[in-house]
Amino acid sequence: MLFVMACLIFLAADLWMFSTVRNSFDKTMVQNIKTLAVAIAHSAPEDPGDIEGWVSGLADTYKGYSFYYMLGLPWEDGFREAGGDEELKKYWSEKQDAPDMLEALDSVSYLESYILKDKPRIGGLARNVVLAPVPNEAGDTAVGFVIIASDASRTSSFARLLNALMLIAFAIFSLGFGVATFSRDPITGYAILVLFAIVVAFVAFPLFEAVRLTLMREGKFSLSVWKAILGNTQYLKALWGSVQLGMHTATFSTFIGFVFAFAVARTSMKGKKIVTALATMPVISPPFSLTLSIILLFGNNGLITKRLLNLQNFTIYGLGGLTAVQTISMFPIAFLTLQGVLHAIDSTLEDASMDLNASRWQTFARVTLPLALPGIFSSWLLVFTNSLADFANPLLLSGSYRVLSVESYIEVTGMNRLANGAALSILLLLPTLTAFFVQRSWVSKKSFVVVTGKPSTRLSDLANPATRRIIEGFVVLTSIFIVALYGTIVAGCFVKNWGFDYTFTLANFSEALTRGKAALLSTITLAGIATPIAGILAMVAAVLVVRKNFPGKRILEGLIMTPFAIPGTLVGISYILAFNKPPLLLVGTGAILVINYVIRELPVGLEGGVATLRQIDPSIEEAAADLGADQATIFRTVILPLIRPAFISSMSYTFVRSMTAVSAIIFLISARWYHITIQIYNFSENIRFGLASVLSTTLIFIVLLVFGLMRILIRQSEHLEKTVSTR
Amino acid sequence: MAMQSVPVRLEMVSKTFRDPKTKAEVHAVRDADFEIRPGELVTLLGPSGCGKTTTLRMIGGFELPTKGKILIGGNDVTYLPPNGRQTATVFQSYGLFPHLNVRDNVAYGLKIRKLPAQEIDQRVMRALGLVGLSELASRSPGRLSGGQQQRVALARSLVVEPQVLLLDEPLSNLDALLREQMRVEIRRIQKSLGITAIYVTHDRIEAMSLSDRVIVMKNGYIKQIGSPSEIYERPNSVFVAGFVGKVAFFPVDFEAQDEKGFCLCVLSGKKVKAGHKAEGAIPGSKAVIMARPESLRLLPSGEGIAEGIVSTKVYLGSSMEVFVTTSYGEILVQVDDPAEKRIADEGEKVGIGFNEALVRVLPQD
Repeated sequence: MLFVMACLIFLAADLWMFSTVRNSFDKTMVQNIKTLAVAIAHSAPEDPGDIEGWVSGLADTYKGYSFYYMLGLPWEDGFREAGGDEELKKYWSEKQDAPDMLEALDSVSYLESYILKDKPRIGGLARNVVLAPVPNEAGDTAVGFVIIASDASRTSSFARLLNALMLIAFAIFSLGFGVATFSRDPITGYAILVLFAIVVAFVAFPLFEAVRLTLMREGKFSLSVWKAILGNTQYLKALWGSVQLGMHTATFSTFIGFVFAFAVARTSMKGKKIVTALATMPVISPPFSLTLSIILLFGNNGLITKRLLNLQNFTIYGLGGLTAVQTISMFPIAFLTLQGVLHAIDSTLEDASMDLNASRWQTFARVTLPLALPGIFSSWLLVFTNSLADFANPLLLSGSYRVLSVESYIEVTGMNRLANGAALSILLLLPTLTAFFVQRSWVSKKSFVVVTGKPSTRLSDLANPATRRIIEGFVVLTSIFIVALYGTIVAGCFVKNWGFDYTFTLANFSEALTRGKAALLSTITLAGIATPIAGILAMVAAVLVVRKNFPGKRILEGLIMTPFAIPGTLVGISYILAFNKPPLLLVGTGAILVINYVIRELPVGLEGGVATLRQIDPSIEEAAADLGADQATIFRTVILPLIRPAFISSMSYTFVRSMTAVSAIIFLISARWYHITIQIYNFSENIRFGLASVLSTTLIFIVLLVFGLMRILIRQSEHLEKTVSTR
Repeated sequence: MAMQSVPVRLEMVSKTFRDPKTKAEVHAVRDADFEIRPGELVTLLGPSGCGKTTTLRMIGGFELPTKGKILIGGNDVTYLPPNGRQTATVFQSYGLFPHLNVRDNVAYGLKIRKLPAQEIDQRVMRALGLVGLSELASRSPGRLSGGQQQRVALARSLVVEPQVLLLDEPLSNLDALLREQMRVEIRRIQKSLGITAIYVTHDRIEAMSLSDRVIVMKNGYIKQIGSPSEIYERPNSVFVAGFVGKVAFFPVDFEAQDEKGFCLCVLSGKKVKAGHKAEGAIPGSKAVIMARPESLRLLPSGEGIAEGIVSTKVYLGSSMEVFVTTSYGEILVQVDDPAEKRIADEGEKVGIGFNEALVRVLPQD
């Protein structure tokens, strides 16, 4: 009852305030039009012969207005239509006996201009129509009048904006007040509302705008964009290019990843920790850095291709080079997945097989491999989708080879065809979604990873000594190659002009850091702002997902997870579409970058938080509630300390990923808020490899620093983890 | 710690929820309606899934009833969140804060109430003294034994001086010996503080030895409320009789009640008498006679109300348990002072008789 009353009172106040604003705005508009009308009417020529010229002159001077001039008044002798805009004439002839028009004429005869209540559509647009009297020389009677029509769409779009704001204000009030009145746990209620508002505004709305743009043409539903895209062989070639690249990369990555995982999980190879650390480096290393070093080594003026081998017709740009770079940067994904898969397979099964007199090879082929197969396939799919979404590597290295992500970028920034860009990046979603659903429906059904209570500690070699040598050799060589790639970047910092002049210099440092300073600072600032926001939001969302039940929970979770599945280019394009107009005019601000970082890293944080929270006995939180703590206090004093490891790693992950972002933010940066990776890209494009190397090295250094810090912080809270799970 | 004792009242409280997998409605609690008197310790007893924990959680505010009202000290608290009501729960898994030491665990509720630091210190030490853990104040909970963790949980609940103490199977994670000690301890502390307490358990011995009154539940229904002796000696249903102790059942035709209150029944053609009856048992219908082991006795073969063969004998010192296989199933007979008597050997045919004053007629389930 109280709620309804309060809502009604608020609604009344809301209506009153906004209608006041609207009315006063309307009044000023009307006043402006009237003033203009009077000015125009006074400039009417004395000589009837000049009238035609004057009217057409007016239409030229005042764009967006149309005029029609009458001499005398309809009921007087000698009344005639002197001419002007044809459509206004038609309007006049239709409406001259309408009551509104009669009133207007009446007031014109008293020398007062009148604005018609009707806002007719003339020439397809809504118009404000004014009748302005033309006075005689003495200024005491009207000798004629001008009908002036002006574009009303600006007023009406302003009115729409006001209405939208009014509704939003009311919605916020009634929801907020409703939660406070009806919920037993208002803080949770507010958290849900805020998260919903965030994902609706920054996930659902931009994506909706992007899809809408591809389905509209001049305000009407149309498939013309899609027809153009799907009928164009260039675009289809790019689609096929992406898929082909994805398949190549996924296959090579899965193979290398499996060899690495096998070496770590199933052989007695030495130095597993170093190999693991090294193999995971490419995942966290900044974009462009591996591409950069590949170009330095194998490019047209590369150290190996030109200096050492002096190859003439070799080019690294294209499918081959892209596959190589993507494989190096993405095989760790396969490695990590497959390592988990192999660890999950109980090795006593292999022992049993060998105990039954199977050879090592037979054991591998008949036991290990079949058990790992679903895992191998899902790692293939994971790499495949990653390769499709990859933007940074193809941007530098694709040459004449076409892939969708770069194509959509060129459409947007090069050709200014936003709709095409949006459509292309949506197209990119197709293979990704297919892969996702295949994973869901097929792989998960096929999975028979054996779950046993206790992990077995045994580790006999599943490879005979000769095979083990080969595997070890492969692992070592790959690792050396990775080290060499990073070494090349570092070396690049100290070389005067790579490819031509290999003299030692330190000049790159001062130039790169001077020119990149602003970008570096703004990147660190914005990533630093995004980090705690993303961390807290992710943990709050995790609590809601794991511990609370509320309508729409599935939808909320789905919307938070969505940015994980969609390619960065689509995110970037949809953001420029959605946020370059009121009420959320964000393009060009730092805020849009921060929001983008937060939205894109929430999924990973949420997953981490959910996994940790599931380990924690819910009665710990219930005990806190029981002792008098409200939800906010429980979150601060109990949940956050307990999920600290997930919180810290989600924050450092956000920071690093924001520092190394490319695909979405390349659309969103502005002169004021630049990004370090784009700076690296610009240096590379201009063949200033020394400068690019310095910035890349700096970025790698920052990333390593953050991860080192994270490890220290997490280790400090490790003693907790042992006691947390009392279930 | 001075506790004020308040009553707790449930008025036609029901709780239904949807099974997340099958989408079927589950009636966890149906029309629970009872009052717990100030300072009383009442046990909710029943097999798992009977709704006892759900009832406790509704009183604690962790679940909302689908319908009905819950009153604590006369105030309607049905829709108050846990932090809005004066209850304190001891959880089955203790729910200790792993990141806080024992002292900070106990102090948590007082800090939430923003009491002065000095008072917090005093009250924490007093509570830890009450459960005998003063020396372990700066230990982390992970380095305590199960029984010590249990005591910390109890101290943490008591220190905030709640109006009602809720205990959710608090002893189920302890070994048998410790369980017995803690049982005595909990009862001692509850009595000395005079606090109203509700205790959930599936262990009938725990319920019998601890409570002023027992509420027996099954499938969400409250089957019977009464003192331990009432529940044991005068159950009103076959379920309660079977759940709270060992018992033998004899299916009978309940014919009439004589002027002294004895129930006249027919068991397989033989006339038998029973001392009292449950409310639901109506003369002229089929019924069941229940007999506890101590109200049964062994007789020579051919005598008594039933015939059987001794299958097992278990010697317990002060008594012996004799299992006899009969046409009514295996019946347990308790023989006191076994040293003084000759008891039939295993495999021997015996008759079984009962003490008419102690047996009871129950309605058929």
